Amino acid sequence: MNITQIVEAVLFASDAPLKAEEIARADGSLDEDIVEEAIRALQDQYGDSERSFQVVELAEGFQILTRSEFAPYLERFDTVPRPSRLSGPALETLAIIAYRQPIGRIEIEYVRGVACGGVIRTLQDRGLVDVVARGEGIGRPLLYGTTKRFLNHFGFRSIDDLPRSEELPVVLLEGIPLGAEEEDVVTTEPDHG
Amino acid sequence: MDLSRAGNTLITRENFLVVELDRFQGPLDLLLHLIRQQDVDIFHIPLARITDQFLAAIQTIRSDQLEGAGEFLEMAATLIRIKAQMLLPRQEGEEDQDPRAELVRRLLEYEQIREISSRLKTAEAERARRFAKGWVPARPRPEISDTPLETTWEDVWEVALMVELSDPAGRGPLVPTRSVTMEDKIFLIVDALAEKARVEFSRLLCGFEDKAHAVMTLLAGLELSRRRELFLRQVTPFSELWLYRRREGDETSLTEGGDPALEEPEIPHGTRRRPAWMPPEEEEPEDPLAVLDVNLDALDEDTVGPETT
Repeated sequence: MNITQIVEAVLFASDAPLKAEEIARADGSLDEDIVEEAIRALQDQYGDSERSFQVVELAEGFQILTRSEFAPYLERFDTVPRPSRLSGPALETLAIIAYRQPIGRIEIEYVRGVACGGVIRTLQDRGLVDVVARGEGIGRPLLYGTTKRFLNHFGFRSIDDLPRSEELPVVLLEGIPLGAEEEDVVTTEPDHG
Repeated sequence: MDLSRAGNTLITRENFLVVELDRFQGPLDLLLHLIRQQDVDIFHIPLARITDQFLAAIQTIRSDQLEGAGEFLEMAATLIRIKAQMLLPRQEGEEDQDPRAELVRRLLEYEQIREISSRLKTAEAERARRFAKGWVPARPRPEISDTPLETTWEDVWEVALMVELSDPAGRGPLVPTRSVTMEDKIFLIVDALAEKARVEFSRLLCGFEDKAHAVMTLLAGLELSRRRELFLRQVTPFSELWLYRRREGDETSLTEGGDPALEEPEIPHGTRRRPAWMPPEEEEPEDPLAVLDVNLDALDEDTVGPETT
């Protein structure tokens, strides 16, 4: 029985992502670095032997997940838990919260231009966002942030996995270079990249 | 609403854009759509045109959908305000920005959020193709408490033996039958009593096997009795139930003893006696005024108080 096997057993038995330090609690001889080394060994092993699953870094931890090419076979089974997809408004609201957290409802609604109370509550019920702080000002508004479940739902390792705003085709500029109002002239979009 | 006029001028003046409002997630979404569809530079928004198009688009909001319309109307007001500010002369030294600045900033921010949410959607779909170890939470089981049986197995057995199973082979296909109406049964009784002074309840059931007919016949008999159209008579419990015809003005009940049927005058065969409260069977008044007269008469009778006419 070696260290890699112990780590594998712990990962196998878990139904949620585990942090390296959590796995290390399995035995006194383990620490974070040893666990991570063991995980890399497992990843190589699984890759070499073409297993149908991998050790995936997910939501600030590690979890064994099947490889995506096996999805068509697994989707036929009712016993496989499958989270339902989010609606358009839910995704927009989540995007705002993810990038601007901690953020209050009023600010979210200003960005989207529509009321978001119901959507936020749904996201909260699904555990994708939660109240992380209270803001200053009148009524000390609730401020929302994303959760670990959010990372898991989208397959992110951490919040840094979100696409950086610099990479996006639409860029927010500090000073907006506004030109004259041109009633009938259709100009091409200037290159912001 | 003043919005309607703005919308109408647009249809004649500009290339009118048909916009389904339901498709949009809010006013920013709609505004962005208008700008992008026409390939307008977001930094040079032709505010007058876009405002007109926006107002035209929200014309389709019906009055029963006003719940979500407030946000669109608020944006319409913002657009009109910016348009007005653009028309006002601005002083050179003023620090004030272009009135469109905040709107453009919001539009860009919203466009960015939309881009992010489409990437999140892709990430979500990709993640959904990978499965963790199957783990389905156990379904909560309803609590079943041990209630002592108040019935003994002997009782159950006894009842079970009494149940007669009908022959499954003899059971025909189930066909929904016409429902039994009280009106039919009232006619049945009235017809029967037109020929004879009295009739047995069991005779009224002849030819009807369904229990519903017996129930409805009894109810019809009770109803007619309540309306003083007939008597019901049963000498002893579970003996035959008799229905007796009752003449107009006959208030005294039949005396015990002798056969009351003999005392009744014979009514010529075929004569129908219709209860007074029943509407005429076929003769409908053709003249609508006739109906009116009847109604007015009824009204006069019912009206309590000094006469006004």
